[in-house]
Amino acid sequence: MAVSAGVGGQPRGPWASVWLRVRRDRATVVAMVALAVVLALSLFGGAIASRALGHGGAEPFPYATGGTDLVPVGPWTHVPATAQTYIDEYGNVLPPPRGTSTTLFPLGADGPLGRDELIRLLDGGRTSLEVALGGMLVALLIAVPIGSVAGYFGGWVDWVVSRFTETLMAFPLLLFLVFASAKLSPSLGGIAYSWVVPRGVVADALLIGVFTSFYPIRLIRAQLITLRHAEFVDAEHMIGASNARILRSHLLPHLLPTLLVWSAVAIATNILLEVSLSFIGVGVQASTATWGSMLSTAWGTIYSPRSHDPTVWQTLFPTLGILVTVVALNQLSEGVRRALEPRSQR
Amino acid sequence: MMRVASFFVRRLAAALFTLLALIAVTFVVYWALPSTPAQFVYPEAQHLTAYQLAHANHLLGLDRPKGMQYLDYLWQLAHGDVGRFWTGSVLVENTKLQQQPIGPQLFPSLRATLSIILGGAALVVLLAVPLGAFAGTRVGSNSDRAISSVSLVGVCTHPMVLGLILATTFGYSHLRWLPGGGYCPLVRTSTSSCGGVVDWADHLVLPWITFALLFLALYTRMIRASVAETLPEDFVRTARAKGASELHVVTRHVLPSASLRVLTMVGMEIGTAIGVCIYIEAAFGIEGLGTLAVRAMGGATSDIDLPYTLAIVTMITLIVVIGNLVVDLLYAVLDPRASAIDDRRATKGALGGVL
Repeated sequence: MAVSAGVGGQPRGPWASVWLRVRRDRATVVAMVALAVVLALSLFGGAIASRALGHGGAEPFPYATGGTDLVPVGPWTHVPATAQTYIDEYGNVLPPPRGTSTTLFPLGADGPLGRDELIRLLDGGRTSLEVALGGMLVALLIAVPIGSVAGYFGGWVDWVVSRFTETLMAFPLLLFLVFASAKLSPSLGGIAYSWVVPRGVVADALLIGVFTSFYPIRLIRAQLITLRHAEFVDAEHMIGASNARILRSHLLPHLLPTLLVWSAVAIATNILLEVSLSFIGVGVQASTATWGSMLSTAWGTIYSPRSHDPTVWQTLFPTLGILVTVVALNQLSEGVRRALEPRSQR
Repeated sequence: MMRVASFFVRRLAAALFTLLALIAVTFVVYWALPSTPAQFVYPEAQHLTAYQLAHANHLLGLDRPKGMQYLDYLWQLAHGDVGRFWTGSVLVENTKLQQQPIGPQLFPSLRATLSIILGGAALVVLLAVPLGAFAGTRVGSNSDRAISSVSLVGVCTHPMVLGLILATTFGYSHLRWLPGGGYCPLVRTSTSSCGGVVDWADHLVLPWITFALLFLALYTRMIRASVAETLPEDFVRTARAKGASELHVVTRHVLPSASLRVLTMVGMEIGTAIGVCIYIEAAFGIEGLGTLAVRAMGGATSDIDLPYTLAIVTMITLIVVIGNLVVDLLYAVLDPRASAIDDRRATKGALGGVL
């Protein structure tokens, strides 16, 4: 059905005008570019870097650490490319034999094991984003059906769902995660798909998703409660549409903007939750690089904090990765929200 | 007034329901998970005979009907008894169990955690109100951007990392201005090596800063947004027209209306604050509720110590529930319209964002 526009051809659809408003917002465009860069680097950066440098992210290089404290080397160091430590008969560490080739550590080493910080940062970005995105999707999968049934039908279903979410939200989310990961990880932790989805990622995403799903449930419910008495819903009822059809074709599209804004914030929160889990020592195995496990390599877990003095670099790089991603996601969510409700206050 | 009172009674009922429900959930989860509680009674045994299993279950009270276990626990709780540890129980003459009471470990740690949270929250308010008001009155300026970006760093640096950096820098290694860890009770007892207000505050300055830096961004941004939103309102123009100074306008007319939103946020964040305390306590070596909670709930290999877990769940839920009741009460005082209270309930928890 073509509606002729007054001036300038086709009228813009709602999403096109949202996109236009997002594009005009400089901070949001910057955030989108930053996110695209982070995504590209985490998806392909690790593989490219390890090809280019000639070593992998999991390979330990004993000569990338120095002294008795095994202090990792700083950025841009050439490290003897050997996995072996040469020791004389008194147990003193000897320099590697002449002719041992060296390999470059662009961001230094990650800790006492002497692995490449750059490759781990890039790989860790991928794992962290996998956990965060997976958690968001799981939460949505749970929240959309439950939230819409509670909000649309109301009555006792709504009562049960509301009391249940209210009760569980009164308790710290982190402790649920700790409890669930400690008790359930053995059964879920084994799920893996080669290097693409390392062990523990699925378990982390599932647990984070389940225990953060209360927020979108409430969000969807609250919005449907105000929408279910709207005139267009009454009109649908009048022409004999079924409840399922009204929900699917007429109400769920209304939820899309809210969920879009929520999902960007949720990914950011999930990245921080993954860091929190790493510090408790549950979730993804310590050998797998995530931004959280890199930080806990540097600072220890809550059971034994600060087992050795970390270098500044060990904290700086993963924190920068988190900072850029989280800030960009928040800006994006803020920008999208503003573009969706152009009349509301900033 | 009647409506406020009835609202309050309803909130009290809801709070009680939350507590009872969470204790019930804990029981149900415990029954659902496989565990061998007999190991607490016979810690040395490699193999447990059927008699030992049954006898241990009997001594721990697990052979009673499940409903009775739940009701008994509530009854005991109503008398102010938080129970006894299963861990470290000693079998006396094969008929009695000698168990350590949980209370003496729980209550000091509760005081430590509440000290961190309350002091940290006070610091957040002390910093966020002036910063947020300052930024909100000059939105888009360089100082506004500087405040926003600096406070963002606090969110993205994990409290554990932040705490350890502060402890290392100002505590043990470099500057040695403040104690890098530990906790001193507010009231000195004959057994404690330190205590009193000065020692207490001295040990808690760094934890408070860690706590405040994490929540600062959230509250600064919120106060900034509500100040910026309130400034164009009519009553602000009226206040200016009667000749009030800009400072007076902001402190007396704009900020009070912003305080309502802050209060809503505080109610939502009490649980998060307890979660964050896990890391702050670990970073500064404070034996607090968070540490105990992780020990009770996180042990991957050992069996679940049910009374210990229940005590932790009860205590944390009580803090959250009582905190929310206080927030409700303050809300009713600050905004006496009962409808405002109901509006607040409707929107509560709508967007649990990081920032």
